[in-house]
Amino acid sequence: MMRTIEVLLVIIIITSAFIVSSFYAVLPQPRRISPLNLRRIALSTLQTLDVNYALSETVFKDISDSAWAQLQIAISACLPPNIVYNLTVYEVQSGGETELYRYINSFSNAADLGIQSDASSYLVASSNVTFHVTPEKIGAHGGGGTLYILNCSDANGWWITGYTAQSLAADLYNLLSPYFQATIMVQNTAQLRQIMDGNKISSLPQENVTNAVVINTFGECVPIPQVYCQGYERQNEGYYSGVAYPYTRYCYTLGQKTRINNWTWVSIVGYPLYYVSNTVVFANQQNDWGIYGMQKTYQGGINAFLQGLDNRNPFQYDETGITGNPGVVYLSPEAKYYCNYYGIYPSPYQTSTRALSTSILDYHLNVTLYVFNQVGNYIPGAVYLHVFQGDTKITGALLALGLTRTPDIRLTALGLLSYYKPRLYRSEYTASGTSRLVVLQLGQVGGI
Amino acid sequence: MAGSTIDHLVSVTVFIGALLLFISLFNQSLQTAISYQQHRNLAAKCSDLLDGMLLTPGIPSDWGKSNCTPTGFGLQDPEFTQYKLSPFSLMRLMSSSGTPLYYDPTKSYYSNITMGFGNFLLVPYALAINYSTTAKLLGVNNTYGFQLTIKPVITVSITETHAANPLILNMEVVGTGFPLSNATVSWCFLKINEKGDQSSPSYTSFFSTTYTDEDGYASLTVDNVDLNDSYALIAYAHISGLIGIGYHERITGYKRYVIPLVDSFEDKRVLLAHSYDVHNQGPPESSVFYNATFVMLTEDFTLREMPMETATGKIVYGHGTQKTYQNLTIPTYNPGILIISYQSNNEYGFVLMPWGISSMAFPVVFGHDPFGQEWVATDMRQVIVNGIAYQATLALWSLEGYQVIG
Repeated sequence: MMRTIEVLLVIIIITSAFIVSSFYAVLPQPRRISPLNLRRIALSTLQTLDVNYALSETVFKDISDSAWAQLQIAISACLPPNIVYNLTVYEVQSGGETELYRYINSFSNAADLGIQSDASSYLVASSNVTFHVTPEKIGAHGGGGTLYILNCSDANGWWITGYTAQSLAADLYNLLSPYFQATIMVQNTAQLRQIMDGNKISSLPQENVTNAVVINTFGECVPIPQVYCQGYERQNEGYYSGVAYPYTRYCYTLGQKTRINNWTWVSIVGYPLYYVSNTVVFANQQNDWGIYGMQKTYQGGINAFLQGLDNRNPFQYDETGITGNPGVVYLSPEAKYYCNYYGIYPSPYQTSTRALSTSILDYHLNVTLYVFNQVGNYIPGAVYLHVFQGDTKITGALLALGLTRTPDIRLTALGLLSYYKPRLYRSEYTASGTSRLVVLQLGQVGGI
Repeated sequence: MAGSTIDHLVSVTVFIGALLLFISLFNQSLQTAISYQQHRNLAAKCSDLLDGMLLTPGIPSDWGKSNCTPTGFGLQDPEFTQYKLSPFSLMRLMSSSGTPLYYDPTKSYYSNITMGFGNFLLVPYALAINYSTTAKLLGVNNTYGFQLTIKPVITVSITETHAANPLILNMEVVGTGFPLSNATVSWCFLKINEKGDQSSPSYTSFFSTTYTDEDGYASLTVDNVDLNDSYALIAYAHISGLIGIGYHERITGYKRYVIPLVDSFEDKRVLLAHSYDVHNQGPPESSVFYNATFVMLTEDFTLREMPMETATGKIVYGHGTQKTYQNLTIPTYNPGILIISYQSNNEYGFVLMPWGISSMAFPVVFGHDPFGQEWVATDMRQVIVNGIAYQATLALWSLEGYQVIG
């Protein structure tokens, strides 16, 4: 009998345990099991209402304005009947205000928000707010940071039809000067000689010839200082007699200077270094197309430049063509990304008739950025870094855009910015009276 | 001794019986709890999957504008962020609502979204993205079933209340939860210019604006429209960022008409087929003369026409090996409406086809039917398709069972 009583006691204990555990193990209501994601619905509703900035306009209007009633109609219309809402608008305070948010207006379509609710907030800015962007300066955390734009008054350009080198230089200055520590216009070929010699040409303390960027705005032509011309003191560094195009030697010197000073040399359009120009020395020579002040270097110019960049001694005259005509080319994914980042929007496809061949990579060049997608063995636009074999140090760079005329200098700016990637610091838009916070709280009604 | 033995026997029997009873009871509670957990997991999966579809453009990002099969599924418009969907990616989803249509000259079946007579969207199976491909791309093949419904938030219904001159049309504008009162309704009226037999008809259009009343109704009167005139009306209702579209046609030529079939997204090519070639395949019938125009909605809710090549012509049916359809190239990837006015034996009409699903606020139902499933989780989002407000709803269910029977 005793055993039976014990068993009964055990049963009572287990029953108690079951009842107690059942009491605590309350199963949730079905609605909580499979809920609508009210937070995301609220956010997507606010985004829908702001598709044409209608929400942004309305919340800055006086609360007696009929736009508030229209907003309420729109919210009621776009939410399912079993979802109730409360929309509240706050003004974002700033400065010395004690409150972070100040209540502006609120409306709802129900007394309460049912058994379950969730909310999303959406920050809108007044349409009369001006935003500021402060770019990081290239070279601020290291060497360089100087941009030289060739603006030589004693040279002529080619393949920049419709522009002058000076007008392009002015546009490039406006586009790129915010991103560099010092932006300096090289006003004549004498100043070009100075920087080639490693000397400063301005009184700016930030000017640094080493690691600078040099943009040749003269298209397929490059200015040549007088001293490098035939009959002048540095003739041996600019003139190579006995060949069809003797001024290719100057391009070799330019390549050497690019390597020695670790410049980034920028060719904005066409066949790089196809002519040299000095309107004083070559006053009576024209380029077969009626443009005076020029001497052709032909296809050997870029070959000579690359030889100098790669420190190949001695200079070998070579006029072998190294470009191709891939036709329509497209911006690379990286360049497209930076279009949005920097707000520069050239046409995503261009025509390339002077794309450099991949064979130039033999000059110890590495492509660090494709501005345009490679087409077969041709690279329509890219930044090449020169690094000697077995070394890690960069010794010069080349940005070459082998596009047909006329040039779009936005592509040059895009290529440089995509390469250097200066950050943009956008100003916060929390100035008093310019930002409002819209909070949409949703709840479900009906059923359990 | 005997009493003790009986005591043991009774107690052990009662104990074992009670133990089995409690195991059964506890197991039932556990089974219910596990089932609840799995349902909750299904709801979370549904929300995640819906966001995954709506917040990524897929791979490649412009697959909606090409003929390729994507290697990653997503419906977001690649040119925007947030819940903005590509009107062309949605066009390429194989509709599970309409009956597929077979067109013999191309030997192809077409996914069918037809919103009443004269409002066609037919996409060849070869270009439409089907359910099984999508399930594989989403990683839910054989584990979850789903149905994605994308329907416009605002519905604009148009009915004739007076068919003779002057024509009076009534519009009802409602949202998913409430009538759209005091909304602005901008409308475009297109009327056929009858030019007689053997010629392609042209049309004249004009625009106006009206407003809905407290119940979401609006009425408009158009003069100089007789009972025998063919016309089309396209109406845009808008209030505080919400935009809805409605359309209505009156035609006199129901027998022979033009059916537009999308042929290539990449080349923006549409085939214009003779209705007899699609539905009847009987003895030879009269040709249909057509005049096609492509219009886009402007910011002030008027329609801007974009010029097209070979916009007029005739479609011959039943002449042996003669070509039985015409090609048309849409001039742009901007969403718009292909308006085709047609005439056959002096019977006239309009056919409309959206280029980009949102141009005529067509709904999309994609996936399997959830009817009969044990437990279906649903979630929804408000989305924008080229400026038009839509609601995206995903129904999701498990295909693996729950396996908690103890």
